[in-house]
Amino acid sequence: MYALEIKDLVRKFGHTEAVNGLNLTVEQGRCYGLFGRNGAGKTTTIKCLLNLLEPDKGVIRILGLDPVKDEVGVKSQIAYVPELVAFYPWMTVQGTLDYVASFRKHWNKSLEKDLLERFELDPGKKVTALSRGMKAQLSLLCAICPEPPLLILDEPTSGLDPIVRREFIQTVIGAYQEADPTNRTVFISTHLISEFEGLIDAFTIIEKGKDVLTLESDAARERFKKIRMRFSGEPPEIREKEIMKITRDGRNLEIVTNIYSPDLQARLERFSPESLNLENLTLEEIFVVTAGVKGERNQ
Amino acid sequence: MFIELNFKSGKPAYLQIVDQIKFAAAMGDLKPGDSLPSIRSLAEELRINRNTVAKAYNELEHEGIVETAPGKGVYIKNCPSPFGPETRNAMLSKVVDAAIVQAHHLQVNREELLNLFIQRYEEFEKRRKGGADSVSK
Repeated sequence: MYALEIKDLVRKFGHTEAVNGLNLTVEQGRCYGLFGRNGAGKTTTIKCLLNLLEPDKGVIRILGLDPVKDEVGVKSQIAYVPELVAFYPWMTVQGTLDYVASFRKHWNKSLEKDLLERFELDPGKKVTALSRGMKAQLSLLCAICPEPPLLILDEPTSGLDPIVRREFIQTVIGAYQEADPTNRTVFISTHLISEFEGLIDAFTIIEKGKDVLTLESDAARERFKKIRMRFSGEPPEIREKEIMKITRDGRNLEIVTNIYSPDLQARLERFSPESLNLENLTLEEIFVVTAGVKGERNQ
Repeated sequence: MFIELNFKSGKPAYLQIVDQIKFAAAMGDLKPGDSLPSIRSLAEELRINRNTVAKAYNELEHEGIVETAPGKGVYIKNCPSPFGPETRNAMLSKVVDAAIVQAHHLQVNREELLNLFIQRYEEFEKRRKGGADSVSK
């Protein structure tokens, strides 16, 4: 059983096709990234997962359940951390935790205590007195203590200072998955990819409501390469099927490929460049190249 | 534990961990019986997925470099490599072939490459014997 399955999801707002044919599958135990630019359809997708919006078309299954038909069933299996959380301002940190815990069948009290200490959050502090970072930590606590099988994070580190961000990434996701690694899944929707570079097992890039690339992180880093070539004169016309993007700059050519092979490199060398350099791409660079500014696209 | 990951190296993270631990063991920085950090703490330290660390540790165990004991964790094995000369040569050939291909691309000829091998080997031996002053790449 998959943690999450989305098939041909479509959701429109009037004439705007916010999600227009999204497909993705998340295996249990993964740390999965949904990457997309602002307005690509990430938030609409998440709202459909939570039954805040109903799909126009398509199928969604969360741990085998349909969020529309089985809202309570689905919600008892997931925890959602939105970008900006709203708490009851008069409550204290502990009060908020107790309140949220009352809605949950299961709540790991010792994990709560452990994380409160790690975050150095004062349980007696009122929500209104919390900084943005502390509010983010509190919302994470609320999501992790019930130990649900699926954790959905929407822009989890936006607005957090680098130290809190590091703490979050280092402790929270680790603590959450460690207790039951094969059955705990994390689904992160973000455009701050560099933060999660090491954590993400696999990802889908969404653009204009569709999935445009789905890969395992290691495979992505192997396949995507930048090849820089310098020629003694005017660079030749190069048309190889694996070239995704080609940029000219005087005597230099910068080629981005998404299907690197030594054979491709051999073919490029036959154009007799003065120099040829290979550069690997981080996940963020892969995202930029796939969903970003259009250079001279081949095909 | 000092491990450094480079996501731009083209080498999967788990392999980088495997290689760095193997290197530390070969250098004597890690001795048989030394324990490795838990999966969780290494994952937290490197800001990576615990699955990646688990994969690295599995690979090290598969290669006979580490052993897992319940309650004791993962530690460098006492015994030398259980692989026979044929298997060892097969494994090494992959690495050697990669070096030859790279040398070809960089237009380094056979003699230069062999000299470089000897030079690096001597460097390795020096550091192994505790030449703490020599810091080279």
